[in-house]
Amino acid sequence: MTPPTDAVLEVRSICKSFGGLKAVQEFNLTLPRGSLRGLIGPNGAGKTTVFNLLTGVYKPDVGSVVLGGREITGMRPFRIAGAGLSRTFQNIRLFGELSVLDNVRLGCHVRAQHGVFRSIVRTPFHRGEERAIEASARRLLGVVGLLGRADEQAKNLPYGDQRRLEIARALATEPRVLLLDEPAAGMNSQEKVALRALIQRLRKEFDATILLIEHDMGVVMDICERITVLDYGKTIAEGTPDEVQSNPAVIEAYLGADADAGSSHAASKGGR
Amino acid sequence: MSTLRSRSVEMTPAALPTLVRSVWPLLVGVGVALALQFFAKPVIGDFYAKVLLDIGTSIILAVSLTMVNGFTGQFSIGHAAFMMVGGYVSGGIVYYGSLLAWGSADMAGGALSSMIDGREAPFLTWGDALFAGSLVAGGLVAAVCGYVVGLPSLRLKGDYLAIVTLGFGEIVRVLIQSQTSDVLYTVEEVKETAWYLMPTKVGGALGFSGLPFYSSLFWVFLGVAVTLLVAYRLKDSATGRAFLSIREDEIASEAMGVNTTQFKVRAFVIAAFFAGVAGGLFAHSIGVQLNPGELGFLKSFDIIIMVVLGGLGSISGAAIAAAIVTILPELLRNPEPLLKMWPVLAGLAAVLLVAAVVCAMTGRRARSLVAWMCIVLTLLGLGFGARAAAAAGHNLGDYRMILFALALILMMILRPQGLFGVREVWDRSLWKGIADSFRAPPKKGGTNK
Repeated sequence: MTPPTDAVLEVRSICKSFGGLKAVQEFNLTLPRGSLRGLIGPNGAGKTTVFNLLTGVYKPDVGSVVLGGREITGMRPFRIAGAGLSRTFQNIRLFGELSVLDNVRLGCHVRAQHGVFRSIVRTPFHRGEERAIEASARRLLGVVGLLGRADEQAKNLPYGDQRRLEIARALATEPRVLLLDEPAAGMNSQEKVALRALIQRLRKEFDATILLIEHDMGVVMDICERITVLDYGKTIAEGTPDEVQSNPAVIEAYLGADADAGSSHAASKGGR
Repeated sequence: MSTLRSRSVEMTPAALPTLVRSVWPLLVGVGVALALQFFAKPVIGDFYAKVLLDIGTSIILAVSLTMVNGFTGQFSIGHAAFMMVGGYVSGGIVYYGSLLAWGSADMAGGALSSMIDGREAPFLTWGDALFAGSLVAGGLVAAVCGYVVGLPSLRLKGDYLAIVTLGFGEIVRVLIQSQTSDVLYTVEEVKETAWYLMPTKVGGALGFSGLPFYSSLFWVFLGVAVTLLVAYRLKDSATGRAFLSIREDEIASEAMGVNTTQFKVRAFVIAAFFAGVAGGLFAHSIGVQLNPGELGFLKSFDIIIMVVLGGLGSISGAAIAAAIVTILPELLRNPEPLLKMWPVLAGLAAVLLVAAVVCAMTGRRARSLVAWMCIVLTLLGLGFGARAAAAAGHNLGDYRMILFALALILMMILRPQGLFGVREVWDRSLWKGIADSFRAPPKKGGTNK
């Protein structure tokens, strides 16, 4: 195991209940710098709730989240984004009326020094900052392969492109940890191959630490170093893809019971 | 990897050219305002100068409300209340300031503030300075009110702002209306009154009479220029993108690091400031008596109509709609200037009809063309209708609220995003989008949701 000093994100036994439903129980996670962790589980297992707890959409009932040595439990979402945790959304949440470029430029917002007065007076620094923001936004669009569509409205992009735009927007916040919520959902097989290459590239070029929720087992088993499996809000297994695949609890709760459901799920999404 | 800040410093341009680029639009605005005051006004005459004055005030109101309802997607329905606050503060300062300084509340402005031709006056006087200062003061007080009203309601997601602004508007109106003491007319009366009682001496339900007419085309269009410049520069910056992102998706916006409460309050306070300035300009307009009844709920709705018609989020759209909504009652009262152009309008409608038929026959979408044709024909019809109504002794302008309601309903059916949506008149993508709608329809079964 990696020593805890190297951990960029440390989640210590967070719990969350909605009324009588225990959505997440005793969730623990240690992400070393530069690692790629998969988070899988059947539908309703609490994966997205974990993301919402980490990013401050919900406050954990108990437990703590430490990002880069800094406690971020219960902070408002924008502060957590500022601390360096950024995400994409399972149900795409782009700024539809804005241009593709503006979507990514907004991601740079959290690192910028903008102010109302500077925007109105257009100080030299403000102009420099706008240039720097545009340059990095264009660079990120290049990385995800959307540079040619920079001026289109985000809502007009095809589904797969919207997913990649979400990744670019999240990267623009210069995160320490990137949370990807089902990035391959709705992508065809070609796009999935490109997505794998993109995630590998993010790790290499941006030194990104990634936590990935994904239903597509091909993608997860192929690229993740370690995988955490959730079922009914509980962590039922953790290990390398091989370990997880051969874990009886996982097979029983998820892969075994879900073998046919899982493949039809993937097929129905891939066929969109 | 280098930080955004260090890269920004690297890319920071030299100070002097930046100063020029930052200032020239304002200088152009001052130039236009001066030109309107000293060259256009003598040409177009007093009546149209007054119409132009009203248009300018409306543009300031509509563009400032665009920052709230258009940019951040919050729904304020009490914009006239901020106008009222600004108007009374500015009016009080000018009226009692003049009384104390010059012994009379008569207009003491120079040629810059004059709406009456042939008045012998120096270019600029202390009266003008008092007036300009009072506008800023009115705006600032309105902005403070905006902060007080906005902070509690904008912390929440949802429609609380609409309810709170509605309530605020009524509170301000009733507060002023229920004052029973009259305006003070002499210096002695003012000196005998305790300073903290002065805010009650604004005329109550009768209105604040005796305000000098300082609002000239110069001041109004200087205000328009500043408002447009501020709105445009906000929209086209990190701040504006944050505003728009809140409107598009508040949860995503917050997840990307936007302090949504802070930005909503900022937009609201800026909008309140400009509404206050517009109120000051309105209060000192010729032919206006500042009256709480006039700046109630209905005035707020006039402004909302302008913003929605122009397209929520479009600065130029709001400005154009403000001009249309302000001119329309005048045109309905006296349609002759419009009817003089009837061959042009009829020709335009015919061209649009032919184009629509051609489009329909070649399988292209002709809806926008038909819509534009309907607009032109409606305009013509309104003109002739107004002429007929005038002959029968009626003023079609009295029915403008019905017409606006109909126009809004039609707009919601044909073009729900308003004239320009979130985009500006000069955005190429807007015209490209409209042009695209004339071309072959897009392929069915796209990958979109």
